[in-house]
Amino acid sequence: MSNKPYRLAHGGSRIDRARKVSFTFDGKHLTGFAGDTVAAAVMATGQRVLGRSFKYHRPRGVVGLGSEEMNALVGVGDGARHEPNLRATQVELYDGLTAVSQNRWPSLDFDVSAINNKFSRLFPSGFYYKTFMWPKRFWKHVYEPFIRRAAGLGKAPVGRDPDTYEQIHVHCDVLVVGAGVAGLAAAEAATAAGARVIIADENPLFGGLADIAGGTIDGRPQTEWVKEKTQALAEAENVHVLSRTTVVGHWHHNHLMLFERVADHDPALLAAGTPRHRLWKVRAAYVILASGAIERPIAFANNDRPGVMLASAARAMVERYGVAPGAQGVVFTNNDDAYLTALTLHMAGVGIRVVDSRARAEGELPNAARAAGIDIATSSIISAVHTSLGGLGIGDVKVAAYRRGQGRVISERKVECDFIAMSGGWNPALHLWCHNGGKIRFDDALQAFRPDRHADAIAAVGAANGTFELSNMLAEAHAAGEKAAGKPSGRVAPIAEQPKQKRLEALWFAPATGKYNEGNKHFIDFQNDVTAADLELAQREGYESVEHTKRYTTFGMATDQGKTSNINGLGVLAEATGKTIPEIGVTTFRPPYTPFSFGAIAGTLTKKLFLPIRRTAVYQWHVDRGAVVEPVGQWRRAYTYPRTAEDKHAAINREILCVRNKVGLLDASTLGKIEIKGPDAAEFLDRMYTNTFSTLKVGRCRYGLMLNELGFLTDDGVTVRLADDHFLMHTTSGGADRIAAWLEEWLQTEWPHYRVFVTPVTEQWSQFAIAGPRAREVLAKLAPDFELSNEALPHMTFREGRLGPYPVRVYRISFSGELSYEVATPANLGRGLWDEIVEAGREFGLEPYGTEALHVLRAEKGYIVVGDETDGTTTPYDVGLDGLVSKKKADFLGKRSLQQPHLKSTDRKQLVGLLTEDPNEVLPDGAYAVKEVKDKPPMEMIGQVTSTYMSPTLGRSIAMALIQNGRARMGETLSFPLEGKVVRAKIVEPVFYDKEGAKLNV
Amino acid sequence: MSELHVESPLSHVAAPQGLAIGLREMTGRGMIDLRGGAGDAAFMAAAKDVLGAALPTQPRTSVSWGDIKALWLSIDQWLILCPGGRTAELLAALRTALAGIHSLAVDVSDMRAVIRLEGEGSREILMKGSSLDLIDGSYGPGAVRRMRFAEIAALLHVVDDNIFDVYVFRSYADYAWEFLLATAREPAKIRLFGRQAAPV
Amino acid sequence: MLVVKCPVCGAEGDETDFHAGGQAHVRRPASHDPANISDAEQRDYLFIRHNPKGLHFERWRCDRGCGKWFHAARDTLTLEFKAFYGIAELPPRELMEQANGPWAEYFRQRLAAGTKP
Repeated sequence: MSNKPYRLAHGGSRIDRARKVSFTFDGKHLTGFAGDTVAAAVMATGQRVLGRSFKYHRPRGVVGLGSEEMNALVGVGDGARHEPNLRATQVELYDGLTAVSQNRWPSLDFDVSAINNKFSRLFPSGFYYKTFMWPKRFWKHVYEPFIRRAAGLGKAPVGRDPDTYEQIHVHCDVLVVGAGVAGLAAAEAATAAGARVIIADENPLFGGLADIAGGTIDGRPQTEWVKEKTQALAEAENVHVLSRTTVVGHWHHNHLMLFERVADHDPALLAAGTPRHRLWKVRAAYVILASGAIERPIAFANNDRPGVMLASAARAMVERYGVAPGAQGVVFTNNDDAYLTALTLHMAGVGIRVVDSRARAEGELPNAARAAGIDIATSSIISAVHTSLGGLGIGDVKVAAYRRGQGRVISERKVECDFIAMSGGWNPALHLWCHNGGKIRFDDALQAFRPDRHADAIAAVGAANGTFELSNMLAEAHAAGEKAAGKPSGRVAPIAEQPKQKRLEALWFAPATGKYNEGNKHFIDFQNDVTAADLELAQREGYESVEHTKRYTTFGMATDQGKTSNINGLGVLAEATGKTIPEIGVTTFRPPYTPFSFGAIAGTLTKKLFLPIRRTAVYQWHVDRGAVVEPVGQWRRAYTYPRTAEDKHAAINREILCVRNKVGLLDASTLGKIEIKGPDAAEFLDRMYTNTFSTLKVGRCRYGLMLNELGFLTDDGVTVRLADDHFLMHTTSGGADRIAAWLEEWLQTEWPHYRVFVTPVTEQWSQFAIAGPRAREVLAKLAPDFELSNEALPHMTFREGRLGPYPVRVYRISFSGELSYEVATPANLGRGLWDEIVEAGREFGLEPYGTEALHVLRAEKGYIVVGDETDGTTTPYDVGLDGLVSKKKADFLGKRSLQQPHLKSTDRKQLVGLLTEDPNEVLPDGAYAVKEVKDKPPMEMIGQVTSTYMSPTLGRSIAMALIQNGRARMGETLSFPLEGKVVRAKIVEPVFYDKEGAKLNV
Repeated sequence: MSELHVESPLSHVAAPQGLAIGLREMTGRGMIDLRGGAGDAAFMAAAKDVLGAALPTQPRTSVSWGDIKALWLSIDQWLILCPGGRTAELLAALRTALAGIHSLAVDVSDMRAVIRLEGEGSREILMKGSSLDLIDGSYGPGAVRRMRFAEIAALLHVVDDNIFDVYVFRSYADYAWEFLLATAREPAKIRLFGRQAAPV
Repeated sequence: MLVVKCPVCGAEGDETDFHAGGQAHVRRPASHDPANISDAEQRDYLFIRHNPKGLHFERWRCDRGCGKWFHAARDTLTLEFKAFYGIAELPPRELMEQANGPWAEYFRQRLAAGTKP
């Protein structure tokens, strides 16, 4: 029955046969039913192969029934909406869906790289490590491009994502992970007890595997019970139900992330603007992990052939989608549960036989199978798989006699079949339990790990806890729900009936004809193409720790995180080393449980919201004026205002000369401003600054330096004494928040007895510098209600008053070296006052200047910028500000550290000015001076350029630098080796303009 | 010189369309940052004299009387709200009454932008930006909470059941506004813990 | 993402609403006798910190709440907070008694000297 439609005439609980759905797979137009997954709809057409494997490019079909699927990864959607690496078993079909297979070229049926498979003996574990080591230069141009083209899963979408994504933070009393019967029972109990509950499941429908598990709950079929409980939860006011939502990670203090696929299944929702994905950041007082279990494959020879599925997946194909996995199949098992699959297929009219590795199969299910006339071969394994259709399907298998612990194969016989449903037992899905350090223990009866201890308030229930018996599962879940809610629910646990199952028998490796590394691949990790032979080889090569084996072979890595492979790999390693599985230990499960989208991670914080941007009240004026805007921290400030046909340099030079010769206007609103008041405010400031503020007179300003406790400069600025007990501190633009927090920290933690209040007011004020020889005339034009003369308002003084109707604080301070007033007005008036200043200044030639002109102006004056002339290891001595370090004060922050001999050493780098020999040569920022120029590095470096500009005022370049022992080297010429040349510059005093400060006191 | 020209932080934005809730800037609000010790009887008495009611001392609460509100910000800090026209008078009165008492009163009316969210679903929209548990009952009318909102600092004032004022520093006004426009879109509407369609 | 609770205002929230301020109970010598601080004393103050596996004592600030600093006792292994206490306080006595290594020695001395922090 190869390549014939596999859709059965009847059945399929999930599909609506009345609603046909068109889609394409690899460009082929196909039809399925509403309710299908892509995996089901493609399989229904008779197609087996849905992808190629990662390393060997072997053809692969569907193995699993949901998120554990490791082979059938597809890309869905076109162009910018394309999403790679989706599990075909989870992608819900909709009209117009386009899906493509991955990792194949040029087509699924013929793949060039499949030759890797023929040469697979050349691709042992650690192949890349062993092969691509030398020659080194080959890596970049030969090996890496080759590996990148051949490897990789899927293709990234092209273009900008048209959809929206978002995140939400939610708190709950109880988060139930998984809405199978255990999750529903737990949620019901917790809800009835009054808890606020979130229950999330990765599937579109609640119920887990209830529909394929058989048995009854409270006397009804499981599916009916599921429907009733789900409806009740959805209607309850204290519950939020989330389907299509995967709990992808568990972090400290029960912080979990839930990935909701809101609109993937319905293009109409996307078209309406519904967020495509939503990431839930949930803080749960209690977590109930009802994540179920994952069936494990069996490691038999060529167990990856298309047509080999997990038994549960084969069952689900029939029950949910009415799709037969083939015409004639073999169930290969070591447990009773897989007999359900045999029975289901048998009743659907599919030919089926059972191969059971156990000597006895006498549980209720095997007996039912036997009674139904199904052929059962015990003490048997599948020892070989023979392909048909050139490797794209299965033709027959060999069934051999098996005794546990026996490595060879005897009495093989051929059995015709076109599919295999395998079951090696079930592993509790422990991933979330382990994400945040939960301990696990090995259970001999299950031959699997179970949850053990956890530091967080979390409980695993049902299959996730290794409890597979239905009644026990429900009782455990019900009790956990009540415990999580902290109250009784007033209800009793549901009662269930289900056929009893006998114990499984571990089967980690099914021996094959010949040695297992000769053409017979026993796949352990299908997604990463890791075989039993690879693990055994790694072991022989000395990778004894399982964590090393994992990295060497890539077993259990990547997006799959060992869902189906983990325990099988450990079993193989245990047998290879003669150890037990607990002795081997487990590798770490890492978040996410399944991959989730970058869109969900970014949420709404993209584009305009990518980064918080801060704007001053005058921002729009700058933009309208054509300013080049530069980021200064989160602020966006005007860098310069080029005119039409003027380049940036010309604009900057024009602005500088305008300040020097006429008058300029700067938006300095970003400067930090902090009000400090209290009886101990002056003493407090004496502690915070290196210089003294207790002696500052009311109405006067003083420049201060702040150090950290290591003695290094951390901020500077001008502080004003508003009243005896009241100061206004200015900080750097970048330091505003940091310094306010710094002051608070010292007040609260070191000197709580100081009576001082600190209130940051940066954003209350718009602040503008009017700087230049004509600044006073501009201000006078603005109708001040106070005296402006040099006598009435001298340099470093302050007035509060009005300019016309505008209330202002005026500080006569200067960062340009010119006569300068900084005028502050409440921010809502900022734009109005700015416009008035621009208007009033017109007749005096006033022009706005930006941050670059500001920097050149201050560099001409030798004023430092903390962060340019300092690098976090710079002392006041280094920058020549010894005079601002009080010798009288017993203590200030950093004082004791400054006394360390090495901070006073003359070997330290000291601030100097530099004049290049060629006045037109502008040294690059950060250029290194060397002691001696050599042909090539290394050369001994003796310092670096900290600020460097073309000064239009001086008509030549200027620079400042931190140079070893620089102050003693005045007049020396230093060499700065650059790309292709050496620039020479003379050390000078770092003040290039108006050394006496005459311009400040006019 | 002409008249005072006043521009609120969001005066340039258009009235939003297609949102699940009402969203607008609140302007003309006077704000005074008041510091003093809750345990300082003289301070508390002086503040009460001027303001007309006692400052709230219960964390994260506010009191409201006439056209004045006092929002608790810390054990020694309050935000006093009043009509913009009354700020100067109130501030002067506070400073007079508090003379000689360790305190600090500053006009901060222009320091923050105030954005009002109004309507059912506002809490859920706020929860898209804040990790606070805004639906556990501890944020009823009058509640005040400083918080991290999206990537910035904000102050939340629950004005009434479905009316919220979000205060952000002025320079971040556009960022906060854009964040709310994005998360309050009608198609992104979400209701937590209510009656839902059952996934069966 | 830890959950932190401020003992000053009772605000509880994600650690991003708070600011971690390093080890608690570090004594700044310069606040006491600035003229007589040995290099060793200053070195210890600036650079020497405990790094215990298990119970640890830290400073935090209620950054997005009342703005006040406080202390926390936290198990560095399980990340569980054992107590939150005032910035001018010592931890609850039973925690001081449970402390190990340098902390045990520190609290022993502190308790011997009286409980003023």
